[in-house]
Amino acid sequence: MIVRLCLLVAFLGGRLPLVGTEEDSGPFSTPFPSPLNADALLSPNCSQLTLKLDFSTKVVKHEYIVAFNGYFTAKARSDFISSALRDVDAVNWRIVRRDNPASDYPSDFEVVEIRQDARSSLLTLQDHPYIKRVTPQRMVLRSLKLTDSGTDGASPCNDTRWVQKWQSWQSSRPLRRTSLSLGSGFWHATGRHSSRRLLRAIPRHVAQILQADVLWQMGHTGSGVKVAVFDTGLSEKHPHFKNVKERTNWTNEKTLDDGLGHGTFVAGVIASMRECQGFAPDSELHIFRVFTNNQVSYTSWFLDAFNYAILKKIDVLNLSIGGPDFMDHPFVDKVWELTANKVIMVSAIGNDGPLYGTLNNPADQMDVIGVGGIDFEDNIARFSSRGMTTWVRSHAGCQASTCLSMASESLSMLVFCLSSTVLNRELVNPASMKQALIASARRLPGVNMFEQGHGKLDLLRAYQILNSYKPQASLSPSYIDLTECPYMWPYCSQPIYYGGMPTIVNVTILNGMGVTGRIVDKPIWQPYLPQNGDYVDVAVSYSPVLWPWAGYLAVSISVAKKAASWEGVAQGHVMVTVASPAENDVSNSGEMTSTVKLPVKVKIVPTPPRSKRILWDQYHNLRYPPGYFPRDNLRMKNDPLDWNGDHIHTNFRDMYQHLRSMGYFVEVLGAPITCFDASQYGTLLMVDSEEEYFPEEITKLRRDIDNGLSLIIFSDWYNTSVMRKVKFYDENTRQWWMPDTGGANVPALNDLISVWGMAFSDGLYEGDFTMADHDMYYASGCSIARFPEDGIVIAQTLKDQGTRHLLNLWKHQKLLSVDMDKVVLPNVRPYRPQVRPLSPGESGAWDIPGGIMPGRYNQEVGQTIPMFAFLGAMVVLSFFVVQLTKAKSKPKRRKPRVKRPLYLQQQQQQTPHSVNY
Amino acid sequence: MVFRRLLRKRWVLGVVFALSLIYFLSSTLKQEERTIRDRTLLEARDSDHHIQWKIKFILGNSSRQISQCRNSIQGKSLLTDELGYVCERKDLLVNGCCNVNAPSSSQHVCTSCLANGCCSIYEFCVSCCLQPDKQPLLERFLNRAAEGFQNLFNAVEDHFELCLAKCRTSSQSVQHENTYRNPQAKYCYGESPPELLPI
Repeated sequence: MIVRLCLLVAFLGGRLPLVGTEEDSGPFSTPFPSPLNADALLSPNCSQLTLKLDFSTKVVKHEYIVAFNGYFTAKARSDFISSALRDVDAVNWRIVRRDNPASDYPSDFEVVEIRQDARSSLLTLQDHPYIKRVTPQRMVLRSLKLTDSGTDGASPCNDTRWVQKWQSWQSSRPLRRTSLSLGSGFWHATGRHSSRRLLRAIPRHVAQILQADVLWQMGHTGSGVKVAVFDTGLSEKHPHFKNVKERTNWTNEKTLDDGLGHGTFVAGVIASMRECQGFAPDSELHIFRVFTNNQVSYTSWFLDAFNYAILKKIDVLNLSIGGPDFMDHPFVDKVWELTANKVIMVSAIGNDGPLYGTLNNPADQMDVIGVGGIDFEDNIARFSSRGMTTWVRSHAGCQASTCLSMASESLSMLVFCLSSTVLNRELVNPASMKQALIASARRLPGVNMFEQGHGKLDLLRAYQILNSYKPQASLSPSYIDLTECPYMWPYCSQPIYYGGMPTIVNVTILNGMGVTGRIVDKPIWQPYLPQNGDYVDVAVSYSPVLWPWAGYLAVSISVAKKAASWEGVAQGHVMVTVASPAENDVSNSGEMTSTVKLPVKVKIVPTPPRSKRILWDQYHNLRYPPGYFPRDNLRMKNDPLDWNGDHIHTNFRDMYQHLRSMGYFVEVLGAPITCFDASQYGTLLMVDSEEEYFPEEITKLRRDIDNGLSLIIFSDWYNTSVMRKVKFYDENTRQWWMPDTGGANVPALNDLISVWGMAFSDGLYEGDFTMADHDMYYASGCSIARFPEDGIVIAQTLKDQGTRHLLNLWKHQKLLSVDMDKVVLPNVRPYRPQVRPLSPGESGAWDIPGGIMPGRYNQEVGQTIPMFAFLGAMVVLSFFVVQLTKAKSKPKRRKPRVKRPLYLQQQQQQTPHSVNY
Repeated sequence: MVFRRLLRKRWVLGVVFALSLIYFLSSTLKQEERTIRDRTLLEARDSDHHIQWKIKFILGNSSRQISQCRNSIQGKSLLTDELGYVCERKDLLVNGCCNVNAPSSSQHVCTSCLANGCCSIYEFCVSCCLQPDKQPLLERFLNRAAEGFQNLFNAVEDHFELCLAKCRTSSQSVQHENTYRNPQAKYCYGESPPELLPI
C-alpha cells in the first residue's frame, strides 16, 4: 500500500540545462494574499465569515516514538524494546498503551515513556537492528476561528478577492524594479509553513491538497473543454465517466478496453476530480488507446492519433507515458505541431529518478508542460526523473509507472479545470497556461532548479493569473543569480573568474502572444555600474523564430579582463523584446510587442592559480550519442544503453563536489583539446571518453604535458567479442543496435597515451578494492597493459570477469541480444530484420507493421498458429512412432489404459505452448 | 481399431507429416505477404473496404467571397486559408483570411511539391491540395485508403479539413519508426507515401 501520494511539480524542459522557477511572494509583494494554503479555507458560498484554522505543536515530555523497520506485533515490539534497553541500568520505562482499533494489528511504531536517563537509553534504542529511529512525541493543537472579514472593507468574496489587479504583471515573475541593489530581491520565501502541517496525519483528497475544491466551489460554467487521454484505454462502462465523448483505438489490438489497468488507474484519478466536469457540462473526454496491453507502442501510432487529436481540436492532451527518444524527429515534430495547433500537452517527466539527466521526451520539450512527483512533505519523489534536459538517448521504450502518470493526470485535469474557468478562452494557449503555472508555482526549499523545475503547483494563483492574463512574453528562469544556493546549483557552487570558460545559462522564452514570434533587434546587456556590472561580459544567442510558443535565449557570462584580480558581486540585466503578429486584435496594428528583463547577478573572484584549476573534458564524452553506447557496468543488462552520458554535474556530481570542497576550480571543456590554453590549467580530466582524438589534438596534448599539464584518465572496458554479443534488436525502430564502442574508447585512448609507453588492455575485471580507507567497487573495466618502468603503478588483483562468463550472461537475457546465426524463427525476406525468439509472457510485437490500427490485431497469434500446428503434428507423430516400436517389441496384449497416457501426454505437450498465446 | 491400425502404416504418417509441413510453410509465407502489404497501407487493398467519407467538395469557383476563414493555424511564418491562399502571417486579416491583395499571398500554390504529391512545406501542400483539379485524386484516395485511417478520414468534413489532415505527417511518413522516409518532402496530399530515401 503506497501511503505517499504524488503531487505535482511543473517541470520545464529547455534544450539545455535551465529550468527556472517562480517563487510565491518574492520581493514584489503581489497584492495576492499569501495565506491561500492549507491554513485558510474559504467558506463555500463565500459569506463574510472566514473559517481560520490554526495549528500549534509541542513536544510531550518523556514520551518518545520508536519507529521500527517493519510491522510487528505488540509482543514483538515490546520484546525488541526490552532487549534494546536491557543493557542500560535501572531505566524506568514503559510502553504507552494505545487503545484503538489498530492495536490488534501489527504496527511499525511504539510510544515509549522513559522517565530517567533518557539520553543514553535513546542512543541504545537507536542501535537496535530493528529500530529505525526514535523521535520525541509531539502534541498537535488545532483551533478553529470564525472571523468576520467583511468588516474591514476588503471584501473576501470571489470577484474581488480572487481577481486581482494583474495588469502590471510583466513576466512570469513580475519585475517592477529598476535596480537590483536590493539584494534581498533574489531571495525567495518558500511558501513552506513554519508550523507542523497536518498533511501527514490527515490524508486528504488530492484535489483538496491542490485547492481544486476551492476553485470548483466558485461555480464556473465554462464552456466545453476537450481533454484527450493517451493511455491504455478505458472500458466502456466505467461508472465515473459520463462525459466520455469518444474512444478510439490506435493500436493493433482490436479492443478499446484497458487490459492493463494503467488507463483505468489514471481514470480513477480523474474520477476523483469529476466534480469539475459538472461545472463544465459541455466538456468532453476523448480516450485514445495508443498502448497495447503489453505496453507496446510505436511512433507511427502516435503520429496518426495526434493527427486525429488536432482534427478534433483537443484542448488538453495528457500523455502519461514518456519515451526517452528525443532523436525521434517525426515524434518531436509532431509534438510541436500539436502545440502549434493550440493543444496544451501535459506529459510526465519520467520515472528514472533519482538519477540526474533522466528527463523523458516529450516532457523535456519547451512547449510541453512536464510533470514530476512530490509527496505531501514536498520532497521530490524518488522515482521522479530530475536533471538537465539532456536530450540524450536514442533507444525508445515505454516508461509506465502509475505514480507519475497520476501526477500528470491530475495536472491535466487541473489544466482542464483552469481552461474551463477562464472567461476569455481566446487567451488560453500552451504558452499562457505554462506561464500561469510557472508564475504561480511555489518553490520547494533546499532543492535546486534542475530537480524541482518551477516548484509546486498552486492552482488558485494560476487560475487567478489566467483570468487576468494579458498576452505577453516571459522568461524561465526569470533571473540568473549565480550566487543563489542551492537553487542555482551547479552554477552557484563555483564563482566565476577572468580566463575561465564562459558560464552558459539557457533561458526559455515563453511567448503567450502568439504561436510565432521573433526577437526584436538584439537582446541588450545593461550593466549596473554601481553594482560593478562592467566587470562582466555577457553575450547572448537566441532562436531566430520563437515557434511554437517558445524559444531559447542562451546567456554566456564571462569576466572582463579588468576584473582579473577583483573580488565581488556584479549585477546587470539583459533586455529582450519579443514581437508577435497580432491575431485577434481588431485594430490590426500589425504586431504586439512585449519587453522582459532578465536580471543577472554573479560572484567574481580573482583568477585562481594554475595548480587549482582542473579542466573536465566533455568534448570527448558523448552527450548525445548518435549510436549505441553500452553501459559502463556490463551487469546492468536491463537498460543496455548508456543514454545518460557522462557529465561532471550529473553522474559525476559527487566527484565534482569533492573537488570543489578540496578547493579546486573545475571547468568544463566543450571544445577540442586544441582549443584551450593549457598554461592556465593544472590538470586535464578525461573520464570514460567515447570519442576519438584528432592527430592535432594528440600532438597538442603531448606538447602541453611537456609544459607541465597533468593528465588524469579514467578508462573503461573495451572488448570486441563482448561488443559483438551485446548487440540487441530494438522493437521500436526494428533495427539491430550494435555498440559503437565499449564503455570507453580504449583504442583511441591507447593512441593518445602510446607516446608515454602506456596502454590499456582489452581484459574485463571486476572486484572490490580499498584505497586510503575508502572501499570501492570496480564494476567492469580493463587493466593496464603497458606502463613505463620508471613509473609508479598501484596495483590490485581483481576478479577476471572473463569474456565467456559475460557472454553467457548476455545470451540468457531474454529481452536482449540473440545470436544472429542462431535465430529460431524462420526469416524469409532478406530485408526483414532478424527476430528474436519469443519467450513466455512476451508478445510478438516485433512483427506488427506500424500504424495499422484495426484489423491486424491477432498478428502474433496468427503468426504462431502454423508454428504450433507443425510442432503439434510432430509430437503426435513421434508419439505414434514410439507406440509403434513399443507394440512391436511387446507381445500382443492390449492394455486397457492406453488411452489415458495418450491424452495426458498430449496435454503435457501442449501446455507450455499455450502460455504464448 | 481400424484407425489405430491405419496409423501404424508408414505412409499414413508420412502423409500427416507432409500435410502439416505444407500447411506450416504456406501459412508462414502468407503471413509474410500480409505483413508486407500492411506496411504500404495506401496501396490498393481489397476493394471491399470503403471509408464512409462524407466530404463535401465545393464545386465551381473557389474564389468566392466568405466573411470568416479557417486557416492552418500552426505555421511558423506562412498560413493557408480555406480558399487556398498562402500568405505570410502579417498579411492575415482579422477574419482569418489571407489578404488577397498582399504581394506575398497567392492561391493554389504548389511550390516545393514533387510529382508524387509530396511537398517540403506544409502550407504549400495544403494549398496545392485545395486545387479543384485535385478532387478526383483525393476521392480516389479516400476510396482506396486503408481502414487504418478511417478514424481520421471519417471525421473530416470538407475539402479544407481533408487537405489539412492529409498533408500532415503520419504513419506513412516514417521508416524504422523514428526517421522520415524523405525528410525533404514529407507532407503529401497524393496517394503514395513519400519516396523512401536510404538512411
